[in-house]
Amino acid sequence: MTQIRDTLLTVSAGILAVLMLAALVRAVLGPRFTDRLVAVNMMNTMAVAIICILAVRLRDGFLVDVALVYGLLSFLTVAVLARTVSARQRRRQQESGEGGRRNG
Amino acid sequence: MDSVRTALGLALLLFGVFVFFSAVLGLFRFRTALNRMHAAAVGDALGVFCLLLGLMLMQGLSLPALKLLLVLLFLWITSPVASHLLAEMEVLTSPDIRAECKEEKR
Repeated sequence: MTQIRDTLLTVSAGILAVLMLAALVRAVLGPRFTDRLVAVNMMNTMAVAIICILAVRLRDGFLVDVALVYGLLSFLTVAVLARTVSARQRRRQQESGEGGRRNG
Repeated sequence: MDSVRTALGLALLLFGVFVFFSAVLGLFRFRTALNRMHAAAVGDALGVFCLLLGLMLMQGLSLPALKLLLVLLFLWITSPVASHLLAEMEVLTSPDIRAECKEEKR
């Protein structure tokens, strides 16, 4: 049972790594900035999941703390970037009226 | 009893990986950013829930399991906030947002 458990944990971590690569491809391709940010958010969630799987696989409790801090940082990244772009866009719209919509 | 718990945890873990796969598939299949956010939210909510619940079942009642519960709660609280900020940004910056989603006239 322990053998199966360890193998399946490793395999699912590997699948999640491949899915992270696919999300990275989406982040590179994505035509708009929002697409890239959504893909990066997805990647961060999967990274947290992989670190948690690793904590159970290696029987190391402290890796879960690493996952927690990673989640905090990823939320901070997305929130700061989205708010900065929104604030810049609002300022630009105030300067040039309603016609100032542009691809951010 | 112990092997039943491990088997249940492994089943939940594999289902969570499947949910993540469908979320990434949605990132590629949908066309607009708001639709892609819909697909990504599935992975953020259901995928993380199933995966971490499976890991908690495998871990048993201990301090790491409680920390995993903390990670789950944190992700569930912050993911809607991040989605809201991303949607606000998309609505503000998209040049053809009115063509993408029809708003109702009042």
